[in-house]
Amino acid sequence: MVDKAVVRKIVFKALKATVKGILFYMAYFVLWSFISPLAEFIPSLQQIVETFVIIYVVLMILGELASGTIYQYFLNVAKALFVTLYLILELKGGVFSLTFNNLNFFVDFRMVLAVVVLLSLLGIAKTMLQAVNYLSEKAEYGAKLN
Amino acid sequence: MIGIATTFFWIFLAAFLVSAAYSVKDLHFDFGEPQMSMTSENKLLLSLPINIINEGYYAIGAFNMTTQLLDFNGSVIAKGSTFVPNIGRGENLTTSHNMTIEMGELLQHSNNYLFNDSELEVSVFAGMRLAELVPVGVSTNLSIPWGAPFYNFTLGEPSHERFNRTHLQVTAPISFENHAFFDIAGNIQIKMYNSSSILTGESQISFEAPQHAPYNGYIELFVPITSFTPDGHFEAYFLTSVFNYGPMVISYG
Repeated sequence: MVDKAVVRKIVFKALKATVKGILFYMAYFVLWSFISPLAEFIPSLQQIVETFVIIYVVLMILGELASGTIYQYFLNVAKALFVTLYLILELKGGVFSLTFNNLNFFVDFRMVLAVVVLLSLLGIAKTMLQAVNYLSEKAEYGAKLN
Repeated sequence: MIGIATTFFWIFLAAFLVSAAYSVKDLHFDFGEPQMSMTSENKLLLSLPINIINEGYYAIGAFNMTTQLLDFNGSVIAKGSTFVPNIGRGENLTTSHNMTIEMGELLQHSNNYLFNDSELEVSVFAGMRLAELVPVGVSTNLSIPWGAPFYNFTLGEPSHERFNRTHLQVTAPISFENHAFFDIAGNIQIKMYNSSSILTGESQISFEAPQHAPYNGYIELFVPITSFTPDGHFEAYFLTSVFNYGPMVISYG
């Protein structure tokens, strides 16, 4: 009986993770169709975006599978940190430059990056609070059992 | 609640970035033919018409174009700047980028620009704020050909004949080609010095040389017989509405 409930729970988590992954990939697919013309000028753009999407989706699926455990929060923090560090790294600290046929282009993403970092920090703060809440609930439940 | 808010902001940020990037393809810049003219202060005015059509989703802020004309040493000869604070959605804006070149300034760097064709470096920077938020820019360096207004200037060997009992009539051919992108007109003043560097005679001719046209003429001087020597030097002064230059020393004999 217990085994059946556990299996159902795992199947539900896997389904939820799959649906989330598919939705995220579809969003990427739609958004990519808008920015794909830029790939003509920035050859590495597709690789940068695809690497980002793959790692993000993997962390998201792992986070879903680990939901209900403390590892979910570790993975959520890892996801938020990954977004921040990956964007800082790939956008060269916020000022992205490119040389193309004697033309030097630059795009200053520092303001966007600042918003991304703030949102990521907010995500980390939220995850921390959730982790504290999870641990306190668990401790409370353990105390009640004793 | 925080989760919903952050998700909303992430979606908003992603949508904004993607739509701003997508808008770039609906932003058109057309540069017209550069035009040259003279200002009231007799400076050369280089004018580049720019047509900007913003059919994107967002306004463009702080459009800025700066050009610098550099000599072969990298020194700035002339600078021009154009600034448009805002280009709204669907706006079709026509402006012109102007750069004033003072020939005197150019000649201070080198008189080579007067007599020899060469190249000038142009440093161009154009920048703007996409969606009034994301600064983008492009810079490049170009070489533009410079045509000398007195290309291959030659003051030929003087010939002389007796004019009267006291003076000789000295004649010397003058030729050059105006390779510049503007017409020149003015005077060439010639001073003749003998082998002891004593001024023996002077004269001037008026000339008109349209762009890319050759000029051939001659100058006549009346020199006292007693001070004439078979060798010496000329000093040439160029007096035009665009610039003055001199002396250019040319030996004869």
